Amino acid sequence: MPARLCVTAALCAAVVLPPAAAAPRAATVKVAFLQGEQVVYVDRPGSNVAAAVRGLLAGPTGTEKAQGIKSQLPAATPLRGISVRGGVATIDVGIKFASGSRAESLTARVAQLVLTATRVPNVRSVRLLVKGGTPLGLFPGILASFPLTAKSVTAPPRMAPPAPAAQQPKPPSAVTRAIQQRLADLGFMRADEVDGRPGPRTTSAVVAFQKWSGLGRDGVVGPATRTALDSAARPTPTRPGAGHRVEVLLDRQLTLVIDGARVTRILDVSSGKPGYDTPAGSWKVFRKEARSWSVPYRVWLPWASYFVGGVAFHEYPDVPPAPASHGCVRVPRWDAHWLYTQTPVGTLVTVIGRSR
Amino acid sequence: MRAVAAAAVAIAALALPASAATPPTRTPGVLMVALQMPSAGFQVGIVRGRTVLLARGLEVDLATQVAKLLGLRARFQNEPSFSRLVKLGPNDWDAAVAQISVTPDRARKVDFSTPYFQADQGVLVRVGVKPVPRSIAALRKLVLCAQRGTTGGAIVTNRIKPTRKPLFPVDVSVLLYDLFAKRCEAIVFDASTLAVLRREAPDRYGPLVGRIPTRERYAIAFEKGSPLRARVDAALQAISRDGTLARLRHRWLGADTAKLPVLR
Repeated sequence: MPARLCVTAALCAAVVLPPAAAAPRAATVKVAFLQGEQVVYVDRPGSNVAAAVRGLLAGPTGTEKAQGIKSQLPAATPLRGISVRGGVATIDVGIKFASGSRAESLTARVAQLVLTATRVPNVRSVRLLVKGGTPLGLFPGILASFPLTAKSVTAPPRMAPPAPAAQQPKPPSAVTRAIQQRLADLGFMRADEVDGRPGPRTTSAVVAFQKWSGLGRDGVVGPATRTALDSAARPTPTRPGAGHRVEVLLDRQLTLVIDGARVTRILDVSSGKPGYDTPAGSWKVFRKEARSWSVPYRVWLPWASYFVGGVAFHEYPDVPPAPASHGCVRVPRWDAHWLYTQTPVGTLVTVIGRSR
Repeated sequence: MRAVAAAAVAIAALALPASAATPPTRTPGVLMVALQMPSAGFQVGIVRGRTVLLARGLEVDLATQVAKLLGLRARFQNEPSFSRLVKLGPNDWDAAVAQISVTPDRARKVDFSTPYFQADQGVLVRVGVKPVPRSIAALRKLVLCAQRGTTGGAIVTNRIKPTRKPLFPVDVSVLLYDLFAKRCEAIVFDASTLAVLRREAPDRYGPLVGRIPTRERYAIAFEKGSPLRARVDAALQAISRDGTLARLRHRWLGADTAKLPVLR
């Protein structure tokens, strides 16, 4: 069955289209899985909450997994019982549901269960039981001794994302300015960022250059990086194409912003870690959120441009040299807004596994 | 209180060699431990009736270690009412481990082990409360909540003396629910537990604004005259001496709440 995806509970009604024709169609329920930083819904056969929860516990299909769709529910978690009374679905799952100690996984699996059940008509909330008992304190930030509504697991906090810590600028130097200018000439920095002051922007640009050049990703301009910088040419697109577009190079952990045959910028990014791989393929930006909230992982994602399911470019405070995200493409703070302006809805995003 | 307990430990250590027979418990070979779920960092799990499944936390590990040293197997049951953990008279458990601080009043009703933890009370504010309270005087103007019958409740009533009516739910889950449901603007509870709650789900809570030093000491409670106390004291002393207790504290609680600002 082809996956019919939509992102976040609130938007699903708008994103999942009804069947094109009026032909009879088997009843389906929506099951909440995860892709990137968001919840996505896929169809499963059935018409009631039991079918939906069984579909959730069964996990994504192989095809869905290939698209980066995941579940945080432990495999083979049994359903011990389910009933609905007065709009409250009492769902009793096996003890595996509460296994593990990673807070993000524990809270995400409760969100999946609640969002799956409450997508079924006439189910407003979920009373969660694990092996017949009430889980107390096992799911961080979730009070499972009370019925859980979709809102209780999706609502963002009424506070803005934390502001990044202010850093004292370091004094400028001619050496740093020369390196920055070279990086800007090659497309690894913006011209307006050349100020001669060392700092995380410059380090990130050096790392991006090292990634492109196949050098060690330490952000330090040592002899090898210096030599490579002196002889380097501006990167070129790794795939043929026309117009304004973006390439994400998973093997090099870089994003290229391209106009025609010219790469205008090369950005240091971090994509999905093993097991959360950013799905390769050609996608288009379909939704933009200046301040996005990750429902399953409960974290702010500023300057988010979604291009497949719950996978987006977004700002993140930590962009290590290696893949580290839940499937999204993390962009450093100083580049995130710029990339956001460069990726309007409809922008082609090609995610490439092997770019060399 | 602590000096008396320490003397008891020393006597017990002399009188009871490690090879002594397993101590008498309600069920032979089993140390039935009463908990009061949940308390982040100290004890969380699944409660079915009074049965506890998948129990985790500092106090769960502590009780397990103590039982092991006594040649017993720890089993856990939940006691939903805090006051029943410190009441006079017989119980259907052997020991209660539930952040019970030693007070003279409680010591008249139950026997206490040597303390295993020193705690202060903390103040956790609801998301969105402005201005953020930074003093006792500022807290006085808020709707405060604390668990009934606990040190936190006494602090609210006797120390902060709020001008608006406070809430004192019996259950910790209700206390947190009241915070989420905006019935409370701040809660007063064990500072270490509040720090764990906030660390695990930072978006769900406002700031942990500080602590109110109480220097209360948590100890294991027994029925008056329980023969277990001396043996448990010796075991507690052993796991304190060999570093086990410090490791458990670090594993389950992490940061030292003594670094939180003191609210005056």
